[in-house]
Amino acid sequence: MSVSAQMIAEVQPLIPALRRYARAMLRNRDDADDLVQDVLERALANWQGRRKAASLRSWLFAILHNLAVDRLRHRARRGIDATIESVPEARLACPPEQEHGLGQQDVLAHLAKLPNDQRAVLLLVSVEDLSYAEAAVVLDIPMGTVMSRLSRARERLRRQMRDGVRAHPTLRVVR
Amino acid sequence: MSEEPVTEAELQAHVDGHLLPAREPVVLAWLAAHPEEARRIAAYRAQADALRQALEGIVDEPVPAALDLRLQLQHLGRRAGLRPAAAAACAAGLLLAGGAGGWALRGKALPPQTGTAALAREAASSYAVYANDATRPVELAAAERGALDSWFSRRLARPIRAPNLQAAGLTLIGGRLVATEHGAAALYLYQDQVGRRLVVYLRPMQVERTDHMQPRRDGAIGGWTWADDGLGFGVFGTAPVDSLHGAANIVRSQLKSV
Repeated sequence: MSVSAQMIAEVQPLIPALRRYARAMLRNRDDADDLVQDVLERALANWQGRRKAASLRSWLFAILHNLAVDRLRHRARRGIDATIESVPEARLACPPEQEHGLGQQDVLAHLAKLPNDQRAVLLLVSVEDLSYAEAAVVLDIPMGTVMSRLSRARERLRRQMRDGVRAHPTLRVVR
Repeated sequence: MSEEPVTEAELQAHVDGHLLPAREPVVLAWLAAHPEEARRIAAYRAQADALRQALEGIVDEPVPAALDLRLQLQHLGRRAGLRPAAAAACAAGLLLAGGAGGWALRGKALPPQTGTAALAREAASSYAVYANDATRPVELAAAERGALDSWFSRRLARPIRAPNLQAAGLTLIGGRLVATEHGAAALYLYQDQVGRRLVVYLRPMQVERTDHMQPRRDGAIGGWTWADDGLGFGVFGTAPVDSLHGAANIVRSQLKSV
């Protein structure tokens, strides 16, 4: 099997998760898919030079994470804030036939308010199911920092959700 | 009973199921003795569950053709008449040769073969060939609408009916079946008061079974494509893209999960 055929066999199964992380970070489907395409391009070009020690998954997520952070910084500089509310629903999330509970929209809206580094660690660990060591590789920080950042992210999200509920009692579904 | 200390990192690991098995009972006992902390940790678990649920739909979406490495490889191979392994080598070579200019597979070289981009091409071609055919633009006229709908339903293996576009000032002329690489497609032809024609094109989707509505243009012919639950749609014509959008929205609302 040639190098690239092997690469495709290994990378292809990870593409859906890369798309999910990109979309959760950028909150825009087209931007996110653009970014994933950049990741695949870079992965293919640097396939020989990748560090064998790191898992393929953390290598790809690291490329994606760095591109995503660049893109978010670029947006911030240009004053673009594609918040969940301003993005047409179909561009953001899931197939239109899928039912979204109020809770799911809630948690994404609150997630969007976290600082980028906290949102990243929460997504990598909770949603992408990376080990702490893999998350440390992706974020290029020591494992102790992964743990403290994760702890801060969860606590901030918890407080936001708790206070958000209190701040908008009319948004609650009353049965 | 003296209590073993538990670290915050261990509590986080407990949330994620990464705690050393030997420490699980210790952490559980500690949480039982600290109900406030137990509530906090339970909230973290609920958070993680909610995030996973809110985002899990994305991994079930079909990978867009532009991001599908296997598909890109096949196209490259088919075009060059190569076996997959040779095509793979070729792909890598092209990519590396492309360097920073990059992504030889980005699709500019070859027209889209799948997904709603391919559907757009088919719909625009069908418009060009059939919409203004002077002799026989349709195979079954609007008068036989019932027969038309059941014919399409049979050939596309799902219930299909002609959308009513009166609200957009469009009257059904009739329809025909169109052959594509992806099997049969249904074509409904409409006409507005000033004689401008519009096609509504439908076919089952293998790739991009669900896709958002987006504008398309192919020369003078423009339109909109989307896909819902395995059925792809195209609304094409030579009218301004905004007025086509109005018609597309009506089609979508009427034919959603037919």
